[in-house]
Amino acid sequence: MIKWNQILAGILLLAFNAGCESSEVEKPEIDAQAKTVENLYAPNDVIDRSTGEITEERPFRYFSLENNQETDNREGNWDIAFKGTTLIVNSGTSGSGSAQGTVVTAAFDELNEVPSSVEFHSDGADGMAIPTGSGNGWYNYNPGTHVISPIPGRVILIRTNAGNYAKMEILSYYQDNPPLAEVDPMSTPSPYYTFRFLLQPDGSMNF
Amino acid sequence: MYRINLNKYKILVGLFGLLIIPKLAFASDPIYIQDVEGNPIPHALVKIGTEQVLTVGNDGSFELPDNLQEDQEIEIIAMGYDTRIFQARELSQVNKFNLREKIGQMEEVVVAATRTDRSVEDLPMPVTIITRKKIQETGGMRLSEILREQTGLQVVGDHGAGLQMQGLSSDYILILLDGEPLIGRTAGTFDLDRIAVSNIERIEVLRGPSSAIYGSEAMAGVINIITKKSQERIVANLESRYRSFNTLDLSGEIGMNQNDWNLYAYFNRFSTDGFDITPEVPGKTQSPYQASTAQFKIGKKTKKWNFKVYSRFYNENSENSMQVAGEGSLRLADLNGERMDLNLNPTISFRPNDQWQMTLRSMSSLFQTHTLTVFQEDGSILDEQDFKQHYHRTEFQTDLQLDSKQLITIGLGHLMETVEATRYDDNNRFDAGYVFLQHQWDPSEKWNLVTGVRADLHSQYGERISPKISGMYKFSERFSWQLSLGAGFKAPDFRQLLLNFNNASAGYYVFGANLVQQGIARLQSQGLVQQMLLNPSQFGQLEAESSRAINTGFRWKISGDLLFQGNFFQNNISNLIETAPVARLNSGQNAFSYFNIARVISRGAELDWTFRVSENLQFSLGYMYLDTKDLDVLEKIDAGELFRRDTQNRSRRVQRSDYGGLFNRSRHSGNVKINYQESSTGVNMALRGIYRGKFGFGDVNGNLILDESAEYAPGLISWNLSLNKALNNGIMIEAGGFNLFNQTTIHTPNNPGTILFAGMKLPIHQLINQNK
Repeated sequence: MIKWNQILAGILLLAFNAGCESSEVEKPEIDAQAKTVENLYAPNDVIDRSTGEITEERPFRYFSLENNQETDNREGNWDIAFKGTTLIVNSGTSGSGSAQGTVVTAAFDELNEVPSSVEFHSDGADGMAIPTGSGNGWYNYNPGTHVISPIPGRVILIRTNAGNYAKMEILSYYQDNPPLAEVDPMSTPSPYYTFRFLLQPDGSMNF
Repeated sequence: MYRINLNKYKILVGLFGLLIIPKLAFASDPIYIQDVEGNPIPHALVKIGTEQVLTVGNDGSFELPDNLQEDQEIEIIAMGYDTRIFQARELSQVNKFNLREKIGQMEEVVVAATRTDRSVEDLPMPVTIITRKKIQETGGMRLSEILREQTGLQVVGDHGAGLQMQGLSSDYILILLDGEPLIGRTAGTFDLDRIAVSNIERIEVLRGPSSAIYGSEAMAGVINIITKKSQERIVANLESRYRSFNTLDLSGEIGMNQNDWNLYAYFNRFSTDGFDITPEVPGKTQSPYQASTAQFKIGKKTKKWNFKVYSRFYNENSENSMQVAGEGSLRLADLNGERMDLNLNPTISFRPNDQWQMTLRSMSSLFQTHTLTVFQEDGSILDEQDFKQHYHRTEFQTDLQLDSKQLITIGLGHLMETVEATRYDDNNRFDAGYVFLQHQWDPSEKWNLVTGVRADLHSQYGERISPKISGMYKFSERFSWQLSLGAGFKAPDFRQLLLNFNNASAGYYVFGANLVQQGIARLQSQGLVQQMLLNPSQFGQLEAESSRAINTGFRWKISGDLLFQGNFFQNNISNLIETAPVARLNSGQNAFSYFNIARVISRGAELDWTFRVSENLQFSLGYMYLDTKDLDVLEKIDAGELFRRDTQNRSRRVQRSDYGGLFNRSRHSGNVKINYQESSTGVNMALRGIYRGKFGFGDVNGNLILDESAEYAPGLISWNLSLNKALNNGIMIEAGGFNLFNQTTIHTPNNPGTILFAGMKLPIHQLINQNK
């Protein structure tokens, strides 16, 4: 059901390769490519709005960045998981793995290394690696229109279970990645995550 | 320059009166002075040569003396009208003639600008007057319908009909009724629909900060609503207007002006079925409501004393319905709202001589609202809220005319405010004392200066000093330039200080600045706080929002028939109060409070052309350019920290050129107005095209700023027409429409589309006199 698209990672890299042949030989390992995952459906629990109680609990959708595919359950080798607007990483209170994450403000394409100031976190009682709530983490909620909009320029950084670094950008919360101006929260199906990510498989902090 | 108790006219009479030579042995038939519509102009002066002056009675008539040379020049002078010169021979052959109104209301007296009477053309600051006649010919029922047609003013639907002036919202505009502040705001908006217009004599619109006289709120400007008083011995009128959406407006007034007593009583009843621009959603866009306004004014004048007591009462009931999500289904609920407003304003002034005038005035107000929301199916209460605000102000003002060129005004005042509300904590009384000083000075014929400063001492935000200096240079009778520099401020309101709000279904909290410390401590003790986002040491005193502004512009009478006025402004506003999250809760939601965080610049130009094509055709054009910016957004853009999305929703950096400024502000707006008096039928026509350019309605792409074409509402032009005719017996009939071409967008909830109206005014006192 999930389609995988592959996109070449950055015009900068192409320009660099074309203009500077000697370094191409020295760095053959730079073949990391950004991948786009479309329409990952991750419905939230059913909640009674007047009492706040969960009437039907639903599972997270677990995803492995290393394998670029979904994992069946919590016990599998996943890095990040989705349910409603909540994103969890596989560590701490969320899982038995060692994946950690954080959110930074940057342009996805321009972020070519993990900034040295960044601290990676596990999920815990004192906070989630990817903070929840409007304006705190990856999205804004508009109480007037009820639209969930991924905040432009927010990049999620993940250190995977395997210890590799990945950068990730949520593109849309709505089916088929429509422009937000065309989203009607009453009729556009959600939550269908579209996101892109780039995994550096050599363990370095450069993308 | 004598402004105490203004009466330029009386001074003129006094001067000329000395020159009258009593040799009116024989009188001619009376000659009537009229305006172009045929109404009498009372109190004109008829100046014969250099020596002789005749006064004109209430009915606008005078009689020529017999012993005049045929070629004797006779000058007719009346305030607000162009002067006319005749030869005696010409006058002896007519029994009436017309005077044309001066263009642009330049001689109208303004009180709000200096708290003394002063004419528009003598004021070194941007002021406009909306006269009774202009109000009448718009065909409007509520104040919003009058103000939205003025250059540079917008009416924006946000918790009521809120005014926007120089790019600043209703929160920053002081509304005065007969010079005294009106209270009662919802989320900062003063709802202009609370004010009926049929008892308004004129409206003064003062642009630019006036905190140097008025203190808090007068940051963008001041609107002073001056209500009618009786000019005639006895007056009684009935007025009615009916229009689309089953909207009915009925007014009655009775006035008396005798033996230095002035009595005036007014009652207005307004009702409407409301309208709905989203019929697919339950509930109406504009609630149906009924409102009553009553006003009573009494005044007594003696040679040295003047006593006045003004009172006003307003009551409104509205009903609507809405859809509420809950228990997995949508439920319908009924909303009932009540609003009540009461003002009492006594004034005593004492004028022992021509130099001194002392005025003691007070304003006591009560504003009260009650809203109740109940589910339709079982009548259970979803929400019930009360709000009650008391306001009391006492002020003592002394005016001292130092010499013919200098007038000093000193004011001392105290104000007290209390509020009780469902969502507010107790401990809600504010006290403030203030003193202001103003110096008006005409150093020469060409120069005109007004300097003022006010100091406020407030129990909540400490002390504030607000200075203002304004000057004007008259290059000639036709052209003057003015400059005004001033500081403005707005005190934090009750909501920002005292709100204690918990949205149970969404799980977030909002605390006023005075409560945030204890509110967060309580949440912490309940174990609800996941993480503090701000250091509690940052919680503390909320300061007043403040501005510095420059207004500069010109008045240019290109000819007797062509007037061009312009004003250029910039407001630099800092310490703007906004909500910010203080703690992240376990629920994933936030707790918010209010902080002085934002800085904004608003600048632009307001231009007005008025052109009289002929005696019965006048044409005017107004234009406003407005540029607003949030300085913190600009900083973030420059630092490369703000992003938007491309067509594939990938993040891209926002450039300065993408940024459209503040939401809800139109870069371009304007109006064109045509007034025509059809002489054969006596029908007056006023056609107005009111343009509001495109504006940002809200964020769409998730970065919370205005930077994308999908975030703009389209510009609209509303064509409004009114026709009226006065019949011989004084009855006035009218008909017309607003927004004739039905221009609407979903983003202007106060615009229902085309409205048609018809109305009638019955001058009962005239009808009775005629039948005698």
